[in-house]
Amino acid sequence: MGRGTWGCRYELHSLLSLTLTQHPALLARQPSPTTNMVVFALLIINKAGGLIYTRTFAPGIQKLDSNDYLILAGTFHGIHAISRSINPAPPPPPSSSSTPNPSSSTTASQPAPQLPSQPPSSTAGNPTRRRPHTTGIESLESSHFRLTCFQSPTGVKFLLFTSPEQPNTDVVVRRCYEMYGNYVMKNPFYSLEMPIRVEKFDRVVAGYLVRP
Amino acid sequence: MSVYSFYIFDRHTECIYSRRFTQQPSPPRTTSSTLRNGTTVPPSLRQANKDSDDAKLVFGTVFSLRRMCRQLGGVDDQFLSYRTAEYKLHYLETPTQLRLVLLTSPQVGNMRTVLHQIWATLFVEYVVKSPLAPTEHTGGKGVGNELFEVGLERFMEAVFRPQQQQQQ
Repeated sequence: MGRGTWGCRYELHSLLSLTLTQHPALLARQPSPTTNMVVFALLIINKAGGLIYTRTFAPGIQKLDSNDYLILAGTFHGIHAISRSINPAPPPPPSSSSTPNPSSSTTASQPAPQLPSQPPSSTAGNPTRRRPHTTGIESLESSHFRLTCFQSPTGVKFLLFTSPEQPNTDVVVRRCYEMYGNYVMKNPFYSLEMPIRVEKFDRVVAGYLVRP
Repeated sequence: MSVYSFYIFDRHTECIYSRRFTQQPSPPRTTSSTLRNGTTVPPSLRQANKDSDDAKLVFGTVFSLRRMCRQLGGVDDQFLSYRTAEYKLHYLETPTQLRLVLLTSPQVGNMRTVLHQIWATLFVEYVVKSPLAPTEHTGGKGVGNELFEVGLERFMEAVFRPQQQQQQ
């Protein structure tokens, strides 16, 4: 009987040391679609492309120093903007309201078929035209990680680095956005677009993204 | 499930082949497809500039993202694809630093095998092994030969059209 309990304890210890998640007893706190998740890092980029929050949770991506993270954030901000303009998709077929592709500023002009006399790429001038909202990169796959990018309506980008098999990354990143809204935005001492130094936010994010 | 465009960049960071599979409707120009490779004379100079600008933007994006993936994932990490709400970009780099970029609709799955097949069965067979094609395809010379173009079109039809017909 004693040997049995020691055996169980050893098993528990080895499970804990192997992975961050997996043991069912520790996950009983809150059921969510994100149990067993391995999140490597979370980065938050402000409207201007500056990095305001960096946190790594699990090993999986290379350790970079803070300068490299800043450069990475700026680069990604630029690439995100470019990826909106290289949209190759053809404009949707004309329905009751014409919806030309706003990315036609870099490609050839695509005047809507109902208004052939309209000069090219003058989508802003016509009030009856509705520009479809082109989004930038939402998800990036590489062989070692997956990057999920969520852009809030105010232009703040949340980059989540996870393992490639991780499901529901968009749910996770939206939850992080919720936490950002609850603990950073509602903090009266936080100045907008500045680096996030809010302890409560750190604790809540760690509690959500790291499974002990 | 449709393919929008396809680019090939060589190791000198030059676009040696580009092909657009969607029709861009525009009354001022002819309604023929805008397919071209780097050497043929385009219908209008402005369209040619726009196309080459597009190719440069695509290359710049892909180059930066590849560098970012290397930085984050280690030296052996490979950038595979990225997805926006409007399109998905697939990337393959061969050991000779030839880069194949494919832009499709967002629902498409992993196109890595498709890109590899394009490279192995079309590019290597019809461009690399062609005795008339030079070793360095500056300005796209030697790439857009008829066998390659026809083969590529047939290949894309085979990969993308059956699914479309099933959906409809």
